[in-house]
Amino acid sequence: MKVGSMFATYRKALSFVKRSYILQMSYKFEFFLRLFFMFFNILTYYFVAKLIGTAGMKYLEPYGGDYFSFVLIGIAFSGYLMVSLRGFSESVRDEQMMGTLEAMLVTPTDASAIITLSTLWSFIFASFRVLLYLVIGVLLGVSLAGANVLAALIILGLTIVCFSSIGILSASFIMIFKRGDPINMLFMSTSELFGGVFFPISVLPSWLQTVSHLLPMTYSLNGMRHALLQGYSLRDLAPEIGALVLFSAVLVPASLLAFRYAVRKAKMEGTLVHY
Amino acid sequence: MRRSSGGGIIGEAAIETCKLTKTFASPRGLPDLLRRRPSAGGVTPVDGVDLLIRKGEVFGILGPNGAGKTTLIKILCTLILPTAGRAKVNGYDVERESGRVRESIGLVTTDERSFYWRLTGRENLEFFASLHNFYSDEARDVVDDLLGVVDLKYAADERFLTYSAGMKQRMAIARGLLNDPAVLFMDEPTRSLDPGAAQGLRDFIKGEIVRERGKTIFISTHNLEEAEELCDRMAIFDDGRIKVIGSPADLKASLGDGSKLSDVFLHYTGKKFEERGGAGGAAPGFRQDRRGFPHRVGGLGRRRGGV
Repeated sequence: MKVGSMFATYRKALSFVKRSYILQMSYKFEFFLRLFFMFFNILTYYFVAKLIGTAGMKYLEPYGGDYFSFVLIGIAFSGYLMVSLRGFSESVRDEQMMGTLEAMLVTPTDASAIITLSTLWSFIFASFRVLLYLVIGVLLGVSLAGANVLAALIILGLTIVCFSSIGILSASFIMIFKRGDPINMLFMSTSELFGGVFFPISVLPSWLQTVSHLLPMTYSLNGMRHALLQGYSLRDLAPEIGALVLFSAVLVPASLLAFRYAVRKAKMEGTLVHY
Repeated sequence: MRRSSGGGIIGEAAIETCKLTKTFASPRGLPDLLRRRPSAGGVTPVDGVDLLIRKGEVFGILGPNGAGKTTLIKILCTLILPTAGRAKVNGYDVERESGRVRESIGLVTTDERSFYWRLTGRENLEFFASLHNFYSDEARDVVDDLLGVVDLKYAADERFLTYSAGMKQRMAIARGLLNDPAVLFMDEPTRSLDPGAAQGLRDFIKGEIVRERGKTIFISTHNLEEAEELCDRMAIFDDGRIKVIGSPADLKASLGDGSKLSDVFLHYTGKKFEERGGAGGAAPGFRQDRRGFPHRVGGLGRRRGGV
């Protein structure tokens, strides 16, 4: 991509963020309500962790031994998967329902750029939530003193690329079938159970752990916990980073091809703006 | 005047179609889709359409509901792919050079939902300007200029949801002109307007967009008087086919003295034309401003003008 083109994309991205920010802020009550109940969510796990104490030490030892720290990273970063899975398909659906999709698609901006940039705000909001989770976590005693921030950021970047690809696959289904997206259902239902959000996957029977190893969430959360809670080096994190790179290498082209196919099919059937 | 044809090269073509056809297959269930079983039947809203529209021409397509006018416009705007035939807009193929087509066109629809209601008029236009690759100061200048053109500067910083139907339609025109397109498509632009507002809009289209800016306009309408008033040439379109093309005067003359466009429509389609909405003249209780936009007299005043 040329520098001029990258700059244009950056400025276009700013326009999308500005639009979404204004729309979000026009519903201030909902915005603050979401933040408020997020705090409740964290407190719930804080007290569950207090109850558990050192009971799960055997499973939690590779992550530092503290359940609250473990689950805090889990719920904070799994938010990115939720945003990816819902964000892309919801942005297609929202624009269809608001009636703005057609007006956007008749401009020179590419359909995939429109859908990708439409979800930017959701990712920014998710990042804001993650920061809040971490700040509240630290206030409640989680130690991030030895965190390897660079490694965490690399894993975060790969996580977003991986999850976004899954989200674009999901949006492709929405573009054609309008409802009943199997990608969303598959990843939503399996990732929390098998991806290690609430408990280490070592708790699962070994045959179920095989399922965990097929999910990018597992590597993402593992890597993030090791980087933030134990300060693992990039070399230590090579297995997680390698797995996420591999997932990205497969999912990115597959999702872009699927989306292109979906847009063409919708244009052929004249259902681009149907919902 | 030609019957059912667009003809050969007359001048520099803004829009050219050859045997353009669109068939929508009947909806299929997932099992049929997976088995790649072809669907039985379907509808053909655009059926072998040949058109040649010259640069600077105001071309109207007149037809009843469901005639296929919107589908034809959507194909030319690259929103729907044709099943057969080909179409070029500004010399670019709508299938193979869709990006180039979109750079050179504007679309004005009647769908007021196509804006963000909780954004102001200015914010809406600045956002859509960015999709046309105008940013920061350039976008602000383009938007400011267009808000002046459509006489909405006074309400630019109010939320779109507070706008009247006429103001929303003027916003749609401003958006259609953001990229200074060579061809402007207008899909029933006066559909949701009262007679006074519709007349104001027609005067604006004639004065500002055609005379001042020299755009090629492809307008679909359901209003005979509108077609007669605006169009250099028009096509009568029914059941996906062009029945006849010519200037309104030629079309009427072809049926003899005293004929009206409704007679022409009846002659070529065998159907009585049922118009939607009225046309012509400022409605009672309205005055027109210097651009021809109507404003309620002694009512909400200029601030809520356009109605």
